[in-house]
Amino acid sequence: MGIILDKAPMIARPIPGGQVLLTTADYFIDLGRKYSVWPLTFGLACCAIEMMVAYAGRFDFDRLGVIPRPSPRQADLLLIAGTVTKKMAGPIQEIYHQMPEPRFVISMGSCANCGGPYFDSYSVVKGVDRIIPVDVYIPGCPPRPEALIYGVLELQKKITRMKLAKGGGATHQQEKGSRDLAGSNA
Amino acid sequence: METDRLIASEPGPELESDTMFINMGPQHPSTHGVLRLGLTLSGEVIKRAAPDVGYLHRGTEKLMETRSWSQCVVLTDRWDYCSAMTSNLAFSLAVEKLLGAEAPPRAQALRVIMCELNRIASHLIFLGTYGIDIGALTPFLYAFREREMILDLYERCCGARLTYNYIRPGGVAADVDEGWIAKCREFLEYLKPRLDEYDALLSFNPIFLARTRDIGLISAETAVHWGLSGPNLRGSGVAYDVRKAEPYCGYENYDFEVPVGRTGSCWDRYFCRVQEMRQSARIVAAALASLPPGELRTKAVPRVVKPAAGEAYAHVEASRGDLGILAVSDGGAAPFRVHVKAPCFINLAILQEILVGKKVADVVAVMGSIDIVLGEVDR
Amino acid sequence: MKTPATREAAAAALLERCSDARLAEPGVKNYLTVRLASPKDLLAAARLLKGELGFGYLEMITAVDWLGPMKLEGLVSSRNPNPFTDKLPGPPVPPAAGAGAPYRPVLDLLWSFGNLRDGVKVFLRLEVPRDHPEVPSLAGEFAAADWQEREVYDLLGVRFAGHPNLTKILTPDFINGHPLRKDYAHEKDSYDGD
Repeated sequence: MGIILDKAPMIARPIPGGQVLLTTADYFIDLGRKYSVWPLTFGLACCAIEMMVAYAGRFDFDRLGVIPRPSPRQADLLLIAGTVTKKMAGPIQEIYHQMPEPRFVISMGSCANCGGPYFDSYSVVKGVDRIIPVDVYIPGCPPRPEALIYGVLELQKKITRMKLAKGGGATHQQEKGSRDLAGSNA
Repeated sequence: METDRLIASEPGPELESDTMFINMGPQHPSTHGVLRLGLTLSGEVIKRAAPDVGYLHRGTEKLMETRSWSQCVVLTDRWDYCSAMTSNLAFSLAVEKLLGAEAPPRAQALRVIMCELNRIASHLIFLGTYGIDIGALTPFLYAFREREMILDLYERCCGARLTYNYIRPGGVAADVDEGWIAKCREFLEYLKPRLDEYDALLSFNPIFLARTRDIGLISAETAVHWGLSGPNLRGSGVAYDVRKAEPYCGYENYDFEVPVGRTGSCWDRYFCRVQEMRQSARIVAAALASLPPGELRTKAVPRVVKPAAGEAYAHVEASRGDLGILAVSDGGAAPFRVHVKAPCFINLAILQEILVGKKVADVVAVMGSIDIVLGEVDR
Repeated sequence: MKTPATREAAAAALLERCSDARLAEPGVKNYLTVRLASPKDLLAAARLLKGELGFGYLEMITAVDWLGPMKLEGLVSSRNPNPFTDKLPGPPVPPAAGAGAPYRPVLDLLWSFGNLRDGVKVFLRLEVPRDHPEVPSLAGEFAAADWQEREVYDLLGVRFAGHPNLTKILTPDFINGHPLRKDYAHEKDSYDGD
């Protein structure tokens, strides 16, 4: 599927009306992606409990098409829910690279955003965006499940702006507006 | 021929050498966080289990040396994030011991109410997630429905759902009103039939029983030897509860039982927790009935806490065991040293012993029954 | 029916059996604290507690670094040490006269033994010099000591002689030093960007 999407702009552009075709294709692909954001079942710390609450009955993440997947190979979304420690940084990078494109990252909670209460700790990475690019940041310590839902809605808005013509469906690292990966090492 | 010899003879050491190493975690849906287990398998049987912790080590003990005494309470919330109230309480009790102060009666009763509600909430998380580990998804949805009601009560009282910072040195942060008390009573009434429902749904479910009974046996001696505490210790039949042994916050005034298991199996540990929820509900009801009026913070604890040099140890029965805080002061505005005797950290170590010889399919059942919270394991 | 164990009786037995042991004053508030004189006594004391006195529940092992407030060379005060310094800390500052706490270059270890039947506990204390902190391991007597000793080794650098697997447990491998020591200065690693 990925290869077909990659090649689609090249094939479509030369034919008359190809641009319209592409835009229409974009619309439907993004619509599909938007309502099937499958996050990885991956909790780090306190925020993971609020993430679990969001999956449970009261907040019911399923209605947004957010269904947890246990394997990074099947997931679109990496929810960094909790403190990223230096010991965990390597595994997180590995998980991120195991996920298929297009992949999205939500940084949930102050710890994942900037270190939070552990901003001066010797063993905490001050923000997960130092090691992987992040799409949506959710403030809070921990954010309420409503905030997480809002974060996912923002991600869905972001997904609707994705264009096949730009990078074959996947967002380029630079477009995500996150810090580059040069400073990090696994 | 080589194969004939292998079939004919008893499995010798040459078969033993054919082991496989399985890396479980730190990203695994049923490790309850970022625990990593290194399992060495021979066929389906575990030869060696090596838990690897530290993936959530946030250096809290060091950070506390740079925070003021009252700022430290914020960090205590984030150890055992499933039951933050008890962590608050342990730290506050240690500071109060250093100062020689005691919280006023109303604050004491509120502390008991909040901690016991939190124990119920925490055990509900255990019940839900343990069900998922075993393969039953539905109890998770039910348990979290009930837990939300407790969180609503917390939110109404102190404004937070998970990290409360409610119990502080010298008392508690906010008072409860009549409406809150009525809602809490309503919840207790609501919870009682629900617990029976869980028993029907999960506790005595034949599949659940088959997967947890006679699995992960811990004898009383082994439990004491490994220093287990909380439901893990009581599941093995040792009736040790800090609330009874060294009562704090007036627990001696409440009538409750300490449920113990018989064989120390996964099911016993599970059922101890279910029974504890019933007892906690009982304590909350009694505490609500005898909630004394009065102030919430003692004047003996000043706004800027500066205890005289000395050290104090306070421990409470947290949801997962005996949580102790050693607080050392050198007379400054920040702790000189804080040590957390974290029950989860000590409970987790026993996995090295009890997993050996088990089938790989039982790993999740055993690990789930220990009920760890990685925030407290690694601190 | 055995007579219930009391911490006083336990402390008396410990004082009698271990030479030069004394009651720590002030100890941990509201608890009896026995201070051992040398690491040699530790195993004997632990065996006595476990075997004869019924204190078979090792609750806690920890240590306190009593090196006083540190002046980190040219940086902020010790109360708020900047953990991301490139500079190594200066030599220990002698404690100011009249300071309330007994600063001294030792690691003060603390063990807590419980008697579950009677719900009492006794604390053992032992001082070891900071530059050569070595005590015998209790891992052979109490399985609970296994991880707790590793934790104390990792965070405070106390060596437990005879421990089967004395390795880092909490901090990542690339962190050098023992963070809970007062003169610990965090060396910048690849995750500590600007």
